[in-house]
Amino acid sequence: MSANGGGGGGAGFDVRWERVRFGYGSGPDVLHDVSLEVRAGESVALVGRNGAGKTTLTRLLMGLARPRAGRVSVGDWDVATKRPDEMARRVGYVFQHADQQLFARTIREDVAFGPRRLGLGEGGVDEVLDELELAGVADRHPYDVPAPLRKLVALAGVLAMRPGVLVLDEPTAGFDRARRDLVVAALRQRAAGGVTLIAISHDTAFVREIAQREVVVEAGRVPG
Amino acid sequence: MSVRVRFAGAAFTYAGGERPAVCDLTVELAPGEIMALAGAPGAGTTTFLLLAAGFAPRLTGGVLTGDRTSAVTRPGIVFATPWTQLTGLCHTVRAEVAFGPAQHGWARERVLALAEDAMRRLGVGHLADRDPATLSGGELQRVIVASALALEPDLLALDDPAAELDPEGADALYALLPAVAETGAAVLVATPDTARAARVATRALLLEDGRIARDGRPAEVLA
Repeated sequence: MSANGGGGGGAGFDVRWERVRFGYGSGPDVLHDVSLEVRAGESVALVGRNGAGKTTLTRLLMGLARPRAGRVSVGDWDVATKRPDEMARRVGYVFQHADQQLFARTIREDVAFGPRRLGLGEGGVDEVLDELELAGVADRHPYDVPAPLRKLVALAGVLAMRPGVLVLDEPTAGFDRARRDLVVAALRQRAAGGVTLIAISHDTAFVREIAQREVVVEAGRVPG
Repeated sequence: MSVRVRFAGAAFTYAGGERPAVCDLTVELAPGEIMALAGAPGAGTTTFLLLAAGFAPRLTGGVLTGDRTSAVTRPGIVFATPWTQLTGLCHTVRAEVAFGPAQHGWARERVLALAEDAMRRLGVGHLADRDPATLSGGELQRVIVASALALEPDLLALDDPAAELDPEGADALYALLPAVAETGAAVLVATPDTARAARVATRALLLEDGRIARDGRPAEVLA
């Protein structure tokens, strides 16, 4: 199934990388002729050594980087024709370094920013804060809570936008068991609702818990 | 036995904080010791690292009460947010790793040798000519650890240093720590990865709500 609306409603989208080649600046290729399809509603883990190209692959989905060759699509959208802010209607991206996506003065404002920008209102904000057990710190500055909690704040902000595709880069790194379980539960709930889930992780237990399929990325290639 | 850092009834409150982030700290850290710090987020492990390395309150502001005695002259610290530690001044990984020791005014040959050795130990020698801004998260974390090692620290404070490493990289990082301790450095490592920490630590502290809840053998404290 492939939903083709603007997004923001949580219905999943097919995601495709077709013969993608990419390199940074004038440097050598770091992705070599990569083809991969993740079906709408599927939960997939990208695994592989540090530097294999996992994060680069997902950045292409948001239009944060453009391929030298090949095509990347989310549903019926060719990413090459969209700006990153347009892609945010379909793809929610939790960066490996969560601090890169936190900027408001309170955690509540930060989580509310995305849905407000998408015209979704703020109806789901408190719900997500409760779900990730952030309600008690919602009025604090994001930088006044420990780094692992900031990562949860970034996740909350993305979940509040109800994207059809969720991309998470090392979503459990630095978490204790309790917070890891919160993340697993939140992701399982979205997956059950039809959201396409793409997670990069070295946490093998987490991968087993949330992924239907593991895709190995190896030196810029996805072996077929 | 000599002491590298000693806390006696120490408490620390961040600027604007309503209550101490850590309190009632009474503990000593000796050269050659590898101390694992465990605790839930907010328990105070990061603050403990900052205080031990002398970064708090000197760089963070805030108020330290009680007693802290330190013989640390060359702290190496790796934050839980390693991307904040890039200098922003270096266009290659080699220059980034060499930046710290170069600030000590050591001879160029010594600085470069330290940088090369640290890169080799962290498995990032092949990235020496890369722009640090193009590294992946795991590569960057290795480079920042290498930068700390290149300082020849007498206290190495690591905050969840393998959070972004692949399993092989995490194993290799923890396996390095005994060799660092053998140079006489005291090693502090805060991490939720208690299994790896327990393999190399000589001692462990469990912090709860800013206080030392347990202090003892890693196999017992981290179980």
